[in-house]
Amino acid sequence: MSAPTRYPPARVSRYRLDAFAARAGLHPDMLHRFVALGLVDAHPDPGGQLWFDAADLATVARIRRLHNDLSLNYAAIGLVLDLLDEIERLRALARWSRS
Amino acid sequence: MAADYYQVLGVSHDVSPEELQQAYRKLARRNHPDVNKDPAAEDRFKEINEAYHVLADPKLRERYDRYGSEFRSVPEGMDDQFAGAGARGRGAGRQRGQPGGGAGWAGEAGPFGSSGGGAVDLEDLFSDLFGGGRGAAAWNAGADQEAELELSLEEAYRGGRHRISLGPRSYEVTIPSGVVDGQRIRLGGEGGRGRGGPPGDLYLVVRIAPHPRFRLSGRDITVDLPLAPWEAALGAAVPVETPGGEAKVIVPAGSSSGRRLRLRGQGLPNPRGTPGDLYAEVKVMVPDQLSEAERGLFDELSRVSTFDPRRSR
Repeated sequence: MSAPTRYPPARVSRYRLDAFAARAGLHPDMLHRFVALGLVDAHPDPGGQLWFDAADLATVARIRRLHNDLSLNYAAIGLVLDLLDEIERLRALARWSRS
Repeated sequence: MAADYYQVLGVSHDVSPEELQQAYRKLARRNHPDVNKDPAAEDRFKEINEAYHVLADPKLRERYDRYGSEFRSVPEGMDDQFAGAGARGRGAGRQRGQPGGGAGWAGEAGPFGSSGGGAVDLEDLFSDLFGGGRGAAAWNAGADQEAELELSLEEAYRGGRHRISLGPRSYEVTIPSGVVDGQRIRLGGEGGRGRGGPPGDLYLVVRIAPHPRFRLSGRDITVDLPLAPWEAALGAAVPVETPGGEAKVIVPAGSSSGRRLRLRGQGLPNPRGTPGDLYAEVKVMVPDQLSEAERGLFDELSRVSTFDPRRSR
């Protein structure tokens, strides 16, 4: 890792449900369940098709890690994600006020 | 893993199963890569799981106690071990690194399995470590990590190459000129290793170390400007130190301590906009000891002057 690497900014894109599920390594039914639990946001288009933000692939990975590693149930993970996000926000704020 | 499993979990050798689980749960929570952004946390987490996996299983624990960390390569018990829980773990482990493989759905770990009566909970816990036994997830993306990158103020001012070591990993990153405290530099794909899926990102959070002379606020820098009483009273052009070298500052006549003289654009550069300013803060100094001549002049000044700093403010 000695050569300096340019890291391109993340692309903003959306996937349809099946494509998103495949990329996330998730069964489509499971993805539906995540949506129902409010863990991942689905964006319906006028035709009723569900679309997902590419950025939420990381969210799904996080959900699965927390579920597998800490045996948290999916409903509890919603709370954990909210708390972790809040901590992240507060940390950023603390960094900002320190500088 | 050469580390002592008891030490890894911080328990004594006669630990009870309940205490063992307690210690494990606490450590697992604290070091989980989604809770703890420290790049070293992921390896600790794996070690903790490995240690608990062995010590929580009475058979494995007995073998571990007897043979130490090499217990897996001791032939005798191999049959039992690989016929039982161990075999599943090893077999599933080989499935890592198959993103998109047909069997790679993350279902619910629980309902799929019916084997091993009381082991359901453990199964769930270890599905990550061993690539997910039974119908569970075979791969997953890695977590993002965060590490602090301490720079001196001069380094932040100039930018340039910087080497950073995180445990066994070492990176040479190019710091853009004019980073500010708290700014995050993203190294895509350098975070937690995924299981077959893409790795997470590593974020370096810039921390600008306190400087003996320069005080930093955002991009603005404040530096003391020591002046002799007559320079402060009469005005002067004096040199002032900036991170980019020496600059001249014009001190207007009648500058008391605390007056801030702005050198526009001499603070930290800003790659996307106006740079910060440098403030030279007047600090009037007097000689420790006066010569005869100086004493005479100050005496004369005190007789002539009507200035009272405690009234005329």
